[in-house]
Amino acid sequence: MSDKKNFTCIGCPIGCPLQLTHEGLDVLEIEGNQCNRGAKYAQQEFRDPRRFVSTTVAIEGARHRRLPVKVTAPVPKDRVVDAAVEIHRIKVTAPVRIGDVLIRDLLGEKGVDVVATRTMERV
Amino acid sequence: MLGRMEGPYDVMVVGGGPAGLAAAIGARDAGARRVLVIDREAEAGGILLQCIHSGFGLHYFKQELTGPEYAERFVTEAIDHEIDIVPNSYVSGIGLDSDGTKRVRILSDHYGLRTMTCRSVVLAMGCRERTRGAIRIPGTRPSGVLTAGLAQKFTNMMGYLPGKKVAILGSGDIGLIMARRLVLEGCEVVGVFELMPYSNGLTRNVVQCLDDFGIPLHLSTTVTEIMGADRLSGIKVAPVGSGFVPDMSKERRIDCDTLLLSIGLIPENEMSQSLGIQLDVTTRGPIVSSTLETSLPGVFACGNVLHVHDLVDFVTGEALRAGRHAGEYALGIRRAQDNIKLVPGDNVRYCLPHSLSTGHEHQIFMRCKEPMKPCEIIIGNIMRKKLSFVVPAEMIMFKIKPDALDRFQGDTLRIDIRPLQK
Repeated sequence: MSDKKNFTCIGCPIGCPLQLTHEGLDVLEIEGNQCNRGAKYAQQEFRDPRRFVSTTVAIEGARHRRLPVKVTAPVPKDRVVDAAVEIHRIKVTAPVRIGDVLIRDLLGEKGVDVVATRTMERV
Repeated sequence: MLGRMEGPYDVMVVGGGPAGLAAAIGARDAGARRVLVIDREAEAGGILLQCIHSGFGLHYFKQELTGPEYAERFVTEAIDHEIDIVPNSYVSGIGLDSDGTKRVRILSDHYGLRTMTCRSVVLAMGCRERTRGAIRIPGTRPSGVLTAGLAQKFTNMMGYLPGKKVAILGSGDIGLIMARRLVLEGCEVVGVFELMPYSNGLTRNVVQCLDDFGIPLHLSTTVTEIMGADRLSGIKVAPVGSGFVPDMSKERRIDCDTLLLSIGLIPENEMSQSLGIQLDVTTRGPIVSSTLETSLPGVFACGNVLHVHDLVDFVTGEALRAGRHAGEYALGIRRAQDNIKLVPGDNVRYCLPHSLSTGHEHQIFMRCKEPMKPCEIIIGNIMRKKLSFVVPAEMIMFKIKPDALDRFQGDTLRIDIRPLQK
């Protein structure tokens, strides 16, 4: 017996309504996607849903008190809040360059680094 | 990051957000030698600097960037283009000489009060948020009621949380983004309330900001009362019926200490108005020709001051064009006046630019009034475009090729959106 699962693609602002047909863990068909990203997204969402996380960390010696950061690879969807809590533990000191790695292998996830998303000079 | 301020300039840009920076780069690309960007904040980049989430740049850079990353690329590019960027400064007035030279009065923390001359001006002041006063919510006036964008600045740049238990009125993108943002910061978000029967934000934001975190979205519901003496203690909400009148018999109380408002954006056109520039009553931005020139010759407009966009990528594209035209104007290059008016028809809230000229390709931006699917955009008798759906939250854009316009004989081109039978 095949089952159906509905997703809304978050790959771009169009937000295609996707319908994935599966039998157990086997994906039989994906409908509703206007591009390839939609099909990939539905597959991923069905097998191992993940999300990128953006947040801020405390910074000293800069114009602002918070430095924006992001993860370089998505974390499991159910660990997004854990990821934020972990990132919030650190405090950095200016200057920071865009792309500087602040945490490696977040939550023990290989290749998920936390990087600064802007440059902040020391003031 | 303080740039020089030494006139005369070819092009002066008011506002250093994504629109202003791209306009300045566009002007330089068109051959303008001296370009100045004036910004009122301490650094250029605009609202992008507080939009720390990703989702920017998919169209323009073909990769997904966060707001600060997108801004930094443009600030760097502007500096590489030898554009003078002067922050902490206001434009307090613009005067016109009889030969078309603009005299721009600038109040700057570093340079003091100065008047600089230039050949053309690009308005790129962006927009601001509608506040509680705009929709007149009854109740007391406690602290804890603020716009979503202000809460975003507090949270993402200044390091203050606006509260602990948060309700959000309006499902605009900033409200949706802030719902997720505050959950990640440890707040409880009790719900998003939307007057309309559909979300005003992008679908993907409803999915990844609300659904992912189990935050309820209450459509056709509005806030009917604000309660609390010094600090907000709760709100009352009620479903709305026809004519958006709240059904008070179903009013219920929700405890919260913070209410964020994400109820729309207004282009900041006070200066445009003081210059006597004609505004469009729907977009609340200037009326512009096909070169994005306002009713004041040599003054151009782009970005959210012209009309509120939903994607910065589209702002960039529009601003690069406005900047190019402003640069050409400064060099004395003039295009023949537009000969075709572009007007909104059925289910079209607005369309831009307000006029077109034969012999050129045109980029059209428009929004629908009501969601419709499937449907067809009908551009006079020259073009038809089928779409699987349209919603007011998502801008519709397309190009009109010169040859399509050459076939058009009239002086007014009307755009309609009509339903297609399945």
